[in-house]
Amino acid sequence: MVISPLGHVNVRTRVLSVLSDKRLLIVTGKGGVGKTTLAAALALISAREGKKTLVCEVNTKERVTQLLGRPEAGAEVTSIEENLWSVDVRPQEAMREYALMILRFESVYSAVFENRLVRYFLRFIPSLQELVLLGKILFHLKEKRPDGSWRFDRVIIDAPATGHALTFLSVPQVIIDTVPPGPMATDAAWMRDFLVDPAMTAAVLVSTPEEMPVNETLELDAALKERVKLSPQLVVLNGFIPARWDGAELEKLPTEELKEFAQGHRLRALQSAESLARLQTLKHPVLSVPRVYLPEFGRKAIEEIAHQLSSARSAP
Amino acid sequence: MIGPVRQAMENSSVLITVGSGGVGKTTIAATIALRAAMEGKGSLVLTIDPAKRLANSLGLEQLGNAEMRIPEESFARVGLAPNAPMHAMMLDMKRTWDELIERRAPPDKREKILNNRFYQSLSSALAGSQEYVAMEKLWELRTQRDYPLIVLDTPPTAHALDFLDAPNRILDFLDNDAAKWLLTPALAAGKFGLRLFNLGGSYVAKTIARFTGTETLQQLAEFMLNISGMNEGFRERAHQTRALLEAESTSYVLVTGPMPERLDEAVFFHTLLLQNKMNIAAVVVNRVHRPVSAELWAQAARLPDDLRHKMEATLEEAEHLANQDARGIERLRELCAPTPLVLVPRFDHDVHDLRSLWETSRYVWGDAAMIGEVAAR
Repeated sequence: MVISPLGHVNVRTRVLSVLSDKRLLIVTGKGGVGKTTLAAALALISAREGKKTLVCEVNTKERVTQLLGRPEAGAEVTSIEENLWSVDVRPQEAMREYALMILRFESVYSAVFENRLVRYFLRFIPSLQELVLLGKILFHLKEKRPDGSWRFDRVIIDAPATGHALTFLSVPQVIIDTVPPGPMATDAAWMRDFLVDPAMTAAVLVSTPEEMPVNETLELDAALKERVKLSPQLVVLNGFIPARWDGAELEKLPTEELKEFAQGHRLRALQSAESLARLQTLKHPVLSVPRVYLPEFGRKAIEEIAHQLSSARSAP
Repeated sequence: MIGPVRQAMENSSVLITVGSGGVGKTTIAATIALRAAMEGKGSLVLTIDPAKRLANSLGLEQLGNAEMRIPEESFARVGLAPNAPMHAMMLDMKRTWDELIERRAPPDKREKILNNRFYQSLSSALAGSQEYVAMEKLWELRTQRDYPLIVLDTPPTAHALDFLDAPNRILDFLDNDAAKWLLTPALAAGKFGLRLFNLGGSYVAKTIARFTGTETLQQLAEFMLNISGMNEGFRERAHQTRALLEAESTSYVLVTGPMPERLDEAVFFHTLLLQNKMNIAAVVVNRVHRPVSAELWAQAARLPDDLRHKMEATLEEAEHLANQDARGIERLRELCAPTPLVLVPRFDHDVHDLRSLWETSRYVWGDAAMIGEVAAR
């Protein structure tokens, strides 16, 4: 804590505090930048703050539980440690839950929805699959415990990569625009309102310090605002390489091999700095997470990243 | 010895790069097309990703929905002189679908289809429709043009299966037994004008309508009715596309990164390709961290203290990454055997200009190999 000359208490705030009161976090970015890693780290932080947290993967090969060193959760919401639950949301199960909610009778569901032809047919109702996936995830935000408190204080979505994420998150709006009034349209309106409410929902964009991922992040930010009306609130620059070598030191190295090697590091560090500067043009807080060097990429790496994330402070 | 990718390039007329997002599929596809042209086999690279920087580096303002020849000057600028022309093209999904309808639909149905909400979501949102239209374009280029080699860079799929399954999905859609059965009363009514639309007594249809609303079903019926005249053409084409994917002259290059956490996806993809009887030429492991040589450690040990600490820290990090990669590669080799692996190192700069594509191609081709490379075994 620093007391400024004017007598104000000048506390540097945790960067992560921009997310503190949000109930829904959507983690997205280009393929391969570490979205799942970041979703897992944010989930750990959230659970340790005492928030009952559910982390959702969307119809993919489950990786969050594996990264945290826990058994697979599958399509059922599964408790993996204190205050932390995980689920891999899959279309078939989500469809069933959704259908049962509307139809209320298991027997009707089996008779109609387990029919092979009906299954085929449902695949071609535009966006129905995405709607039930998103619907199931958002439904968990409405669930309450017997004492009236939320079942989950926060839901974190390990969302698909850029293009698919945009399709996925636009689904409520697409349905509102194309599907005539009915139960689907009513649910879609509720979902859209939740997604675009900045008090409830925050998108977290993940990038790596390379040109293409940064380009895609800048485009994704614009597209989310434009197409989904969702303004991202935090950018994470994953795999940041801090500067270590300057030009004068390079000159002091006695062999070409050493020079070349140090020069490689210097170029990557410069690229990191340049990526950071480009991402900062977005006007959201940007949090850089240094590259982790550990023999195995598992629980320890996630703990390390969680530590980096939660200790980052904004500039005074 | 001739490297596996080179061999596939020589023996195939279509090369398809597949893999998860973010592994460098587009780069590898462009690399192969460039190298083919350099070797005298005219090529076209068909990409889906709007990689503007790649277009710029090829000397094109931007890639459009038509094939463009890479200008000689772009090559000359970096000291390359190809022996055959290289072309590039970026696929515009929506336009390709629209062209398809314009070509095939009976004139009186065209507008109705293009304006139908179901068509609009089919052409932009339906899972698999991107993949399908990419293959449709591939087939068109294959049969109507005479590029000795077409390299198709597949869209980043959420699911490996989406790509291989796309023609089947479209066939399912067209062979819509389900829709016919559900909507029979509606289809019959359609013949007399949809005004009389009635979902009949179908219990199933009524139940589904509780989800979607009756109107949705009605619009879907209308759409089915309008495209029903095109079904034969679509079906024939989907079968031909599927045949092209399985053809002897079509090879696949699976692209992946070496990080252990991404390997499962690559192995899964590999298994799927095998199950579908596709020719897998090679697994290209892209952006592999180079191992640190003992010589470099020895040189570092002789540095004055301050430089030595810095250098050792740098070497240690590099060794961690190289070891992680080596373990990943070892596992990949085991799980994908006997498909050959081709290792491409991580460069200190991003690869998206002709010069770096050329540098990459030396590894893809097998002119250069990574030092201390485990692949030698």
